Amino acid sequence: MLLTQFSPHSLSQGIYEEVLNWARIITPFALVFSTITLLQTHITRIRRQTEHWQYSFLVFAGIAIMVVVGIPFGPQNPVFEWLFNNVQLPMDATMFSLLAFFIASAAYRAFRARNLEASLLLITAVIVMLGNVPVGDLIWNKLISLTPWADTYPDGSSWMKQWILDNPNLSARRGIILGVSLGVISQSIRIILGIERSYLGGGD
Amino acid sequence: MLTKLVSMDRRIVFILVALAVIIPMLFPISLPVSISEPTQNLYDFIDELPADSAVMLVFDYGPSSLAELNPMAKAILKQCFDKDVKVVGLTLYAVGTTMGSDLMQEIAEEKGAVNGEDYVFLGYRPGIELVILGMGTNIAEIYETDFYGTPTTELPMMENITNYDQIELVIDLSSGNLTEAWITFANVQFNQQIAAGVTGVIISQMYPYLQTGQLIGLISGIAGAAEYEKLIQSHAKGTLWINVESFVHLLIIILVIIGNIAFFVQRKQEE
Repeated sequence: MLLTQFSPHSLSQGIYEEVLNWARIITPFALVFSTITLLQTHITRIRRQTEHWQYSFLVFAGIAIMVVVGIPFGPQNPVFEWLFNNVQLPMDATMFSLLAFFIASAAYRAFRARNLEASLLLITAVIVMLGNVPVGDLIWNKLISLTPWADTYPDGSSWMKQWILDNPNLSARRGIILGVSLGVISQSIRIILGIERSYLGGGD
Repeated sequence: MLTKLVSMDRRIVFILVALAVIIPMLFPISLPVSISEPTQNLYDFIDELPADSAVMLVFDYGPSSLAELNPMAKAILKQCFDKDVKVVGLTLYAVGTTMGSDLMQEIAEEKGAVNGEDYVFLGYRPGIELVILGMGTNIAEIYETDFYGTPTTELPMMENITNYDQIELVIDLSSGNLTEAWITFANVQFNQQIAAGVTGVIISQMYPYLQTGQLIGLISGIAGAAEYEKLIQSHAKGTLWINVESFVHLLIIILVIIGNIAFFVQRKQEE
């Protein structure tokens, strides 16, 4: 696949297409394996009667109902759509919505200016949080209107947020991306050359 | 008193957050929204497209992120249908299928767009990178039928759309790292123009790609959705929710300030 990217020759492109087709056939089997693994995990939980093992029956019930309705009748079936819109959608949305409450509580406890690093994090967080909502600029514009620089520095809250995202954030992110990419390349080479065998269950 | 304030019962924080959400929902106010450059860039790109050109709208998110991403999807669809720009909808995220289909139908009905002529919804196929790469050669080979079972080659809108060469822009609405897959495989491999709409938590991840031009535009969280609604002059849930979010952000900042004051006073007393 790597070599096909360097050649526009029809043979090279033919290999590229063929590998893609094979990969497309193999990929859905990952879904089958993941389902089997999930079932095995929950069967073990029930057999060993670990904490909250009763909930594992709900996993089986959920899978069974969606499979029985979804596979023969398709995702446009009204019952399947009803189950999605009235069970999965509100549950999923509710779980994520709870984050707001926990983040607020965690922020109250964790954001303490104990040292220089924590203070920097705290100040940055406050600037970005304020700059990300309209009320930030509203407060800034009200305050700046009391000074002679009202016309020179409007919407300073969103400007500062944008500066943080465009400069320190961008630089740090790029460093992370480069580091991760180099790590992925070196790890791939180790796997291709047979140096790295831990994914086969080996020791190193 | 100070000890109580420093270790405030989290249920009090929960009640305050609930009030900061519920009160602005019941009594909405309108705060001025300023447009950020990445949002403006995406709007301008679509606005300058000629009629009958095509964009691809990808619903790479599930119900957990719909509050942030559905308002963006609706605003983009409204702009496209108003401009007679064709929309190819699809998802690489299995749970995005029903949501994407319902949402496209809803906006199409509102704007009088016709399925198969003004828009198509192709649904879901597994294998993220393979789907993106495969569509670079032939979309109909990956999606033999649309979501409703019609063969893709029989859809009037798809007669002139074979692969990315006929797609002016891919807009990925994502709650995870799928935008990076689109950049890696569609932009780098096929030189496809990409824009994104993402949830608030992954905005910072996208900035390196904006700077390199691999993303031509970016809608950032619910704030970006409100900006886009302002640009298309159709205020909806994005505008309502950014005002609600304003109060929650303010509450958290006030709590953090109170917490820090109490923490420092307590430390001083202990010394």
